[in-house]
Amino acid sequence: MKFVANVDFSGGQLRPLDKSDVDSIVNLYQKQTLAGQSASASKEHAERMIELSVQMAATQRGLMWAIEVEHEGEARMLGMLSLYDWQPTSLKTLMRLDAMPELSAEMQVSALGSAIEFLSKKYHLRNFSFQCLPETDEKIIEVLKCFGFIQQARLRDFRRISQTEYSDVLLYNYLLELPVSGEAL
Amino acid sequence: MNWNLETDHYYVRFAHEEDITNIYSLLSNNEVVQYVPKNPMVVEAQAMDEARRMVMQFDAKEAAFWLVEEKSSGKVIARVSLQKFNWVNASAQLQIEIFPEYKTQTILSELIYAIATLAFEDLSLHRLEWLLVSKDELSIKFAQSLSFNHDGQYVSYFEFEGEWIDYQVYSLLNTDSAWQQAIINDGLVKDL
Repeated sequence: MKFVANVDFSGGQLRPLDKSDVDSIVNLYQKQTLAGQSASASKEHAERMIELSVQMAATQRGLMWAIEVEHEGEARMLGMLSLYDWQPTSLKTLMRLDAMPELSAEMQVSALGSAIEFLSKKYHLRNFSFQCLPETDEKIIEVLKCFGFIQQARLRDFRRISQTEYSDVLLYNYLLELPVSGEAL
Repeated sequence: MNWNLETDHYYVRFAHEEDITNIYSLLSNNEVVQYVPKNPMVVEAQAMDEARRMVMQFDAKEAAFWLVEEKSSGKVIARVSLQKFNWVNASAQLQIEIFPEYKTQTILSELIYAIATLAFEDLSLHRLEWLLVSKDELSIKFAQSLSFNHDGQYVSYFEFEGEWIDYQVYSLLNTDSAWQQAIINDGLVKDL
């Protein structure tokens, strides 16, 4: 059974992760962004991530898409768009965007837009958020602002980045019109 | 580790079987729960279920709940909890449900100092969040006075009775100068 749908966007598509994506995922995760994550991802980590992506989608806890675009005449995975902390009852999800330098900001905005449109129609999600590190996520923040995300908070020392160090987290939200009780979606 | 605390005027303790009536009395009062926000309890069986959930969440290391018993009267005046423990990022969310006549800065200061001391020193947490709705102006005033920082808001956090709830996020870090000063003074600021 297929739990992750293919979604087209201008210039490419969002598609489920595949076993052949291991090298691309390793390339994407060459910087530490989470506590406990090693400085660079290994093939074992990437293989585990692909397995987990299926489990997450099957239980509607999250979702991972490969961002695939035509690059120099061939389809290449140049990024990932993921959902975490998916809360169907509250119509909201936390998202994460990872992109190789070759994936333009315009393409990222387009991919994000198609994903949000799909998620709002298919799953009725209305509240999309990103948690960004102010020191390392400037490019992603530009993409979010360009799309229309608004910074709602700067959460002090919200994320642990080592045993003794913490980083602030910038919280961005994009809200579609939220229905209230009894209102049809 | 001893989870039962004692301040100058209160026992801040875990609930026991005889507390069902106390939990019901507290959480059936609309003024206690209106800014959580949630509906007040209407039958005592809900308090039994709540007590069960408190134990389950503590056993799962997701949350800890304390009842606040006034030493002089024996009355349970509040429930204080640390919820959504995040052991990776060393944080938790503070929640206080208290009878309106006890909702003063002096009392909240005493209770929060006791809970924060346990959180920062015994549990090695780094960050406490206090989520407040804008209508709860008194709690917001106390949060600011106790040097909690306004980090921003969680928008449309959940739906309650046809309204999407925004939470204002107030935080206290164990590295905040206000907290360091509280340790020296053996207490947070008690007056507005």
